[in-house]
Amino acid sequence: MKNQTTTTRWKTDFQQQLYSSKLLQAISHVRRNPSPNARTVRQVADRALAVAAKGRTRWSQAILKNKLKLNFKKRKNKPRLVAMHNKKKHGLNLLPKKKIPALQQRVNVLGKLVPGCRKESFPVILEEATDYIAALEMQIRAMTALANLLSSTPVDMVPVGGMVQFGASQPADSGPVL
Amino acid sequence: MNSTLTEMLHRTTQAEMSVLERQQARLKFQSQQNVSVSEQLQQSYFSDTQFNLMPNQGLMSNEMAIRELVNRSIKMDPAGLENGWPDFAKYPLSGAGFGSETTGFGSVENGYGGNGVDLVDYSLSRTSSCPTAMLEGRSVELGLSGKIGSVGGRESVKKRKVDKAQNSKVAAEEIRNKRMKGDSEEESKITEQNNSNSSISNNNNKTNNKETSADSVKEKSKASGDKSDYIHVRARRGQATDSHSLAERVRREKISERMKYLQDLVPGCNKITGKAGMLDEIINYVQSLQRQVEFLSMKLATVNPRLDFNIESLFTKESFPSSTSFPIGTAPELSNCAAYLPFNSLQQMVSSCGSDMAMSSSELALQRTRSAPLPDAFIDTSCFTQTQPSSTWETDLQNLYNVEFNQGRSPAFPPQSFTGILEANNLKMEM
Repeated sequence: MKNQTTTTRWKTDFQQQLYSSKLLQAISHVRRNPSPNARTVRQVADRALAVAAKGRTRWSQAILKNKLKLNFKKRKNKPRLVAMHNKKKHGLNLLPKKKIPALQQRVNVLGKLVPGCRKESFPVILEEATDYIAALEMQIRAMTALANLLSSTPVDMVPVGGMVQFGASQPADSGPVL
Repeated sequence: MNSTLTEMLHRTTQAEMSVLERQQARLKFQSQQNVSVSEQLQQSYFSDTQFNLMPNQGLMSNEMAIRELVNRSIKMDPAGLENGWPDFAKYPLSGAGFGSETTGFGSVENGYGGNGVDLVDYSLSRTSSCPTAMLEGRSVELGLSGKIGSVGGRESVKKRKVDKAQNSKVAAEEIRNKRMKGDSEEESKITEQNNSNSSISNNNNKTNNKETSADSVKEKSKASGDKSDYIHVRARRGQATDSHSLAERVRREKISERMKYLQDLVPGCNKITGKAGMLDEIINYVQSLQRQVEFLSMKLATVNPRLDFNIESLFTKESFPSSTSFPIGTAPELSNCAAYLPFNSLQQMVSSCGSDMAMSSSELALQRTRSAPLPDAFIDTSCFTQTQPSSTWETDLQNLYNVEFNQGRSPAFPPQSFTGILEANNLKMEM
């Protein structure tokens, strides 16, 4: 089934792709920015993840598009907020709150979490969420391994999706070297 | 001749032939049938109604043949109407509507493939319903009359209610068998239509479906092989066969299937039943995953400046990636070893790192362990001399990725270019 292939693909050779591409992104990014903050690293990681997804899913396309439109979006948001504030002053609060069915409410929340799926139908959001969760798990595994490699203090890896969990303390000089 | 024509009709309905072709097929079929009955029908209909389409008149003329045809091949509505159409007054109404509807549906036919057949069959059923009153007791007619109910969306509410009333009067099992035959095929074509009388038809459909005999079950099992597209759904036994409910059922099945996948993916969702609870769990899980990513990115941001000084850790820790489930690429070694590794090992690493997309993790681990002894030899020289050489190709990489992301979306990550750059830099090093 389609979902099986999408979820399993995030566990196999794609890891290689993502990891190598992401690593290179991170390195180049570091060289670019004298002080990379968490947000930029996160964006870079997300971008690498989206690239690894090969753009077939909505969330990956949305991530890659957002990178280009980030500046425009920031400018647009400000006037929108002002308009909404004015509306509220004029008594919008008097109108009864629209009772959205609980299920639909949750679907909307999920849509907001998954990038690029704000106003999609329920089955579409579910499908996108499936792929997004699998991709996120792989991203976390990659970043954890990378962080462990680069840092002297290993990060405690959380069992993600049934993957192997290894303990916090690993000796720094564990290899056959030296 | 009958069999060939029915075959043709059957095939054409599935292949979504045009109304005209089907009508022509039926015309041919009619030519072999009784004309007397058709003449009767013609008189009764022609006096009452006006027909826009010429072929339809021809159809009317041989309702017997048509009825048999429909019985053998296609759709009959379960909600349908049995014998006993005492009220002819309805037919002029339906007939007039029929004329306009045929034109309307003929135009829409391309959009709804099989609906054209429905349309024609609908016309057939209407034509046949007239003589059914005259020729009662014929199982063939009963089967056909059931057809009218199927196109309830096109009919008026009044007519539908009359149909249902008449439906309840008859109790011939034969009829039901034939109707069920047509049912399954009928429903497959009208799933997309909006049915205003869904509730009424549902009731009837359910009662009819529950009384299905072995014959109809056999028919359905035969027809189940045609289930390919989600639009064409067979009505299952004991379930409503209305187009609305069918479409809804398809939608519900899709959603539940996807929820099942999510359940497998999200840990701890097995105990929770109900979509709302599961959605909550899924939302929590996605939020936690995103928080983890944030945390890890923060950690990487702090760790990154130390990248240059952690080369030995990269080499020493090379053994442990094989023990973890995550296959860590040899890119760190690659990026940092480009300066001081000879050709062979570098190319080995390069090939193992990113260029071969299909490489399995075990393969990678093996290659890594093979190449591991080599970098170890260079540890002493690694730390402080690597910054210089790396800068030469680093800019190339930066350009590469800038270009990639400026394009918005790179179709596939090009590790080949990466390896090309590395090799070029290696050459530079050698020189």
